[in-house]
Amino acid sequence: MPLDTSTYALSLLRLDGRRWNELRRIHAQISTQAAADGSAYLEMGNTKVICTVSGPSEGRRGQGQGGEGGKARIEVEVNLAGFAGVERKKRARGDRRIAELQHTLTQAYTSTLLTHLYPHSTILITLHILSLDGSLLAATLNAATLALIDAGIPMSNYLVACTAGSTSFEESDNADPLLDLNGQEEQELPFVTVGILGDGDKVSVLVMESRVQMSRLETMLVVAVDGCKRVREILDGVVREHGRNMVEGAVG
Amino acid sequence: MAPAATSQVLLSPAELSFLHSSLLLQPPVRPDGRAPNQFRPLVAETDILPGANGSARICFPDGTEAIVGIKAEVEKSQWRANLSEDGAHLGTGGGDVEMEEDGGKPQEEASSHGNGEMSWIELSIEIPGFRDDDPLPIFLAAMLSEGLLAGEELKDRLWINRRFHWKLYIDILLLSPPLSYPLPLLSLTTHLALLSSRIPKLKSEQDEDPLFDDDWEASLYLYPKLPTGKRIDRPPITLLVMAVGSNIIFDPSKEELAVAEAVLAVSVRESQRRENDTSGRRLNLLSIRSVDSPSRLTPSGVPNTMNTATGGSAPVSSQDAVAQRESIDQKGVWNPPRGGVKRALITRIIKLVLEPNGVAQEVMDGLNGVEV
Repeated sequence: MPLDTSTYALSLLRLDGRRWNELRRIHAQISTQAAADGSAYLEMGNTKVICTVSGPSEGRRGQGQGGEGGKARIEVEVNLAGFAGVERKKRARGDRRIAELQHTLTQAYTSTLLTHLYPHSTILITLHILSLDGSLLAATLNAATLALIDAGIPMSNYLVACTAGSTSFEESDNADPLLDLNGQEEQELPFVTVGILGDGDKVSVLVMESRVQMSRLETMLVVAVDGCKRVREILDGVVREHGRNMVEGAVG
Repeated sequence: MAPAATSQVLLSPAELSFLHSSLLLQPPVRPDGRAPNQFRPLVAETDILPGANGSARICFPDGTEAIVGIKAEVEKSQWRANLSEDGAHLGTGGGDVEMEEDGGKPQEEASSHGNGEMSWIELSIEIPGFRDDDPLPIFLAAMLSEGLLAGEELKDRLWINRRFHWKLYIDILLLSPPLSYPLPLLSLTTHLALLSSRIPKLKSEQDEDPLFDDDWEASLYLYPKLPTGKRIDRPPITLLVMAVGSNIIFDPSKEELAVAEAVLAVSVRESQRRENDTSGRRLNLLSIRSVDSPSRLTPSGVPNTMNTATGGSAPVSSQDAVAQRESIDQKGVWNPPRGGVKRALITRIIKLVLEPNGVAQEVMDGLNGVEV
């Protein structure tokens, strides 16, 4: 099903009725699970992710004791539920896409977390994807950030992510950038996932798997970074709200 | 089948002995102060995933959490020989039999009764830290699907016509490490998810290619509701019951499981009721399985008579040690329980579960409150 770009040009509304610079509804919760050291639940539109963090703890036996060089090792496990997509699909453990996602997350958090504070230990981030509708990497990054904050693991700043795309592949002048693509749009359009650290312009994660004209990339990046800043505000609000509730619960 | 490392509790023999003796009292004193047939409070919600036919989430207070998502897909049935002749369902997929025209017989067998097949329901369990082929998930999946497949109703409802049927995928995710034996949690979550599952309403007739009403509001519950809002029947639940001495304890925590003398998994189902039947519910027992108690793996205490430091004599060999332990029964020294369960005890457990206003009914009523 090709995205009807002609309609977009006429009404400037996307398939789900958003304008080009609108995010989907983001809903997040912190401390959803009592058994984990840190946990979070995040919805970006219809993409729903649960993240749990355990650790820093002594690494599992048989895998070497924690990280090397006086730093904590970060392990990421992503589990795509069979019922997440439109059709029921069971993914094997060694799925390439999942492995790549895990690698990206591991790299991102190895540089963001202050791992030198926990030598010889392991931080395990487990992500369950319950429902999948685009922006998978962005949603997992945001959920993991919240869960790590809940676990109280020091990090230099919020690592927040967002996607941005462009309305057409063709070589035309009137291609608009789009913010926060959903699953349908992701299948049709070129898009880039950007993760930034804090509220500056420091890009920490940048993943792009589709082809796009060089001239469009810059606008896409600008839109994505702008989206990240808005996501950061939302997540910051969630963390502060949770903190307020905790303090009020402890006092009264 | 041992729950293995999942419920390994780090308690010393003295602590185990204390736990065991307080559970032996009349009435038993449980570590968290519950009554013997009292369940832990839980948090439950249904219909949490828009992309699934049915879904549910349950959190236990010890932090374990499970999510179940159910998806149904239309699948082509394998043609079975002799189905139209006498209604006998052997269930052997007649792969080598040619597809016959069904003009000879009038369309009398176009009802779903007795046509369901076991393979139409697929259940998979995912537990973090375990592989798919580890014994724990496989054993749990077997126990849960056993209860589901025991009744004909669910299988029959998946029948669309003679050429097509629904295939039901039940995916169970345990989101937390399995702190206590996760069977009751998974069973209750599956129960709720099945209750919330809906399948689209069929618009086509008889053996046409199935065509469905695309209005989700018109969809039908997999476990149909009566006009009064009650269900005709409900999916089974599996309860974990343990015994210490003559005390029967429901919903054991992991500390209690560590001193259990017998652990049983009891599957119960509410039997089908008729439209005008208001005389309360009847409960059916589906299966009982004994679960190998983790208490058998606990370290035993050393009595004074076997301890050289207190003037006893140490046993010569490990066989000797076992023989000596067998002969003495000293209070306050932990000895892992041996042997099986008495029949009378099992009878009492079944009675407690099944009796009117018994434990199973209480759990079902509790789950009723969650419903959508």
